[in-house]
Amino acid sequence: MLRKLLRHELYATGKTLLPIYGITILLSLLNRLVTNIDIFNGPMEIIPAFMQIAYGISIVATIIVTVIIIVLRFYKNLMTDEGYLMFTLPVKAYQLINSKLISSIIWTIISVITVILSLLILLANPERLELLKESIDNIVYILKISFGENYVLLTIELGILLFISMIQQMLLIFVSIAVGHLFNGRKVLGSFAAYIGINTAVQIALTILMVIWSLIGGSSLEELGSIPQLLFPFTIIMGLTLSLLYYLVTNYIFSKKLNLE
Amino acid sequence: MSVILECKSLTKKFGSTAALMDLNLTLERGRIIGLLGPNGSGKTTLIKLINGLLVPNEGSLKINGIEPGVESKKIVSYLPERTYLPDWMKVSDTINFFKDFYADFDEKKAYEMLKHLNLDANKRLKALSKGTKEKVQLILVMSRNADLYCLDEPIGGVDPAARDYILNTIITNYNENACVIISTHLIADIENVLDEVIFIKEGHLKLHASVDEIREKEGKSIDSLFREVFRC
Repeated sequence: MLRKLLRHELYATGKTLLPIYGITILLSLLNRLVTNIDIFNGPMEIIPAFMQIAYGISIVATIIVTVIIIVLRFYKNLMTDEGYLMFTLPVKAYQLINSKLISSIIWTIISVITVILSLLILLANPERLELLKESIDNIVYILKISFGENYVLLTIELGILLFISMIQQMLLIFVSIAVGHLFNGRKVLGSFAAYIGINTAVQIALTILMVIWSLIGGSSLEELGSIPQLLFPFTIIMGLTLSLLYYLVTNYIFSKKLNLE
Repeated sequence: MSVILECKSLTKKFGSTAALMDLNLTLERGRIIGLLGPNGSGKTTLIKLINGLLVPNEGSLKINGIEPGVESKKIVSYLPERTYLPDWMKVSDTINFFKDFYADFDEKKAYEMLKHLNLDANKRLKALSKGTKEKVQLILVMSRNADLYCLDEPIGGVDPAARDYILNTIITNYNENACVIISTHLIADIENVLDEVIFIKEGHLKLHASVDEIREKEGKSIDSLFREVFRC
């Protein structure tokens, strides 16, 4: 059932997102073309200028629209009239959450790839690629000096951290919408309030944890060398814990406290 | 005849107000049952409980012996009292959607009914009127070979001619093994198709009897009995 849900989910969101990604790639191709041929003189100069603006907008839209579609889809498909359809399907509430989460992860990754690809299409030439390679080598070199053997660990941790943060942000949005729907008649307002409330509570809890950590004499988290061994693992575990918490609360509300208008 | 729905001391509260209070009800297969009551009497609450859209505070509810969940949703076909299909879908998309998720969905039947009502399967729901959307939903719901159909206000938004077609659809599209619950306050229109009626008022069960029984005992139509019981 999850596969069917996911397929419908990707179809419902892809019909908006894929054209946007396509336009971004197309505009970067056109811009590349326009910058390479110098035939726009006089009033015609407006064409490349216009193209550049359109390209800039499409890059921003790629990311922003992806986020907006993820949020709107979750809200509209589950918390409005469409919820009557989705919550009476012969599936578990967590399967609905899973399908939405997986589809959101897929689109976020595709949107990032789209932006990178489009920048490469627009800007890549042999010299610049050489420059890019040098910068990456440089970063690796600095990491090696700063962290010694731990730099591989650090890189892996950074990747995991980015991935977990993405999931954590999505589940935070999901749980806020689920909590918001309990405020009958003020669901959207309730969702925003829940988002801000949960965020604040987490920040306060983290600050308290930090204070306790320093009081019991734990090593300073600001020390550079402790990043791979302490700060990153801690952040990853926190991210996982919070994600799990958000997920369980969302699932609890959907299976026990559902109250569609 | 076997029991399809059994409610024992079923209670659902919203805050401090009880929408359903200590409801005991047993429904059997092979019947068309009218769930009747004024606005806010608890009709929709009962139907939502059957479909797992609400969870009871007390008591139990069993469909074919199982509590509402994945297994019960496979055998319950539900028509809510609102348009719940995504606007951007074509009629044919909605048919594929139902076919995908409900093993008991009969695609051929759905297309036959669409054809009969002159509905174009390639149209987007956005382009349809509210009444036409309701017809599409009813077609989807009645194209399932379910054990229990829950129709919440199925004739509220459509014209009298379509009303007749819909009622006819309901009578001809369910098998002897199934039970149909129709919630409405347009009693006169559906009186003739009903086998049993349930009256609920302010969350309490007022009456559960067969239509013939009522006509014999009381010597009046369901409509006039309703007006009497629920006189304001």
